[in-house]
Amino acid sequence: MEKKTLADVFVDGARKGWNVGVSSILPNVLMAFALIQILKVTGLLVLLGKLFGPVMAIFGLPGEAITVLMGSWLSMGGGVGVAASLYTAKLLTGSHLSILIPAIFLMGSQVQYMGRLLGTAAVQTRYYPMLFAISIVNALIAMLIMRFIA
Amino acid sequence: MSEDPKKSTSIVEDFKVPWYGYVALIFAIIFFSGVFAKEKSWITVLDFNTINGTYGVMKDAAKATFMGQGGTGARDGFLFALGLIPAVMLALGVVEVVDHLGGLKAGQKLLTPVLRPLLGIPGIAGLALVTSMQSTDAGAGMTRMLRETNFVTEKEKTIFCAFQFSAGGTITNYLSSGAALFSFMTVPIIAPLVVIFAMKIFGANVMRMYLKRVKED
Repeated sequence: MEKKTLADVFVDGARKGWNVGVSSILPNVLMAFALIQILKVTGLLVLLGKLFGPVMAIFGLPGEAITVLMGSWLSMGGGVGVAASLYTAKLLTGSHLSILIPAIFLMGSQVQYMGRLLGTAAVQTRYYPMLFAISIVNALIAMLIMRFIA
Repeated sequence: MSEDPKKSTSIVEDFKVPWYGYVALIFAIIFFSGVFAKEKSWITVLDFNTINGTYGVMKDAAKATFMGQGGTGARDGFLFALGLIPAVMLALGVVEVVDHLGGLKAGQKLLTPVLRPLLGIPGIAGLALVTSMQSTDAGAGMTRMLRETNFVTEKEKTIFCAFQFSAGGTITNYLSSGAALFSFMTVPIIAPLVVIFAMKIFGANVMRMYLKRVKED
């Protein structure tokens, strides 16, 4: 077996990064930007913002931030994309992003992980509601913690 | 539907189209036709170019990056995502080097003795735990193996899955998708990660306490 130099190893990792970027991040972010554009044009973003304003205020966030959490639940990449889109639209600030980041992952991609993790590991389905609840509570507590750090 | 023994093999295949198929077709025709391009109201959501959006422009050349400022829609998202890729490549390159040098094995070694007090699962789950940090799927497969070979009980497996289910593939996802937001955060990169780990452990312990009240079967 030929021995790899550290440079080779790094390049292997960077190549993985490129693949993740092109095959996952780019499509996810593009989808999220298109989705936010739809919500903006239809006025739904403002409506969601008003509707969830009081709830999200608990976490020091504007109501529009609810879309980040909704996106995350479907896919982490989607949540990050929505967050990025709201940031470039100046609806979220850097500290808002900091509050949201742990939550994006803690409740992220659950719809996919139900099959990929819980299904694969053969977890009894009667525990599914508890597992979902734990993840969402994790995310909510994390936002409260980050509120005081960010 | 009744069984039809002489199943049609003719080229004029009789197929059913669901009602939403027609709706989708009508939508596609409207979306790509540009009939609503000139409108101003919410109806422009049905216009391809509105959703495709615009590239940003160099309003303030000293501050704008290559994505410009004031862009919208898919075009803005594309340039934004392109700008994220270097951070992801750098992060995963470094992770690969750390892994190659045995950094993750070191983590596993340090974790093994604390798994029992911390999560209520045996130290042998250490490898699966470290693996689950990198890949949700690989972690899930190893967890299944641990159960099938009776290294963990059903309850321990469920607790372990509660740990993995929240922020699955933590390190890889945080350093790839999350890296996209690092430069805009107002806290050190490590801070959200520490919170994520703390909450994963917290969540697993909630499951641990919950399972104490459930009979093992």
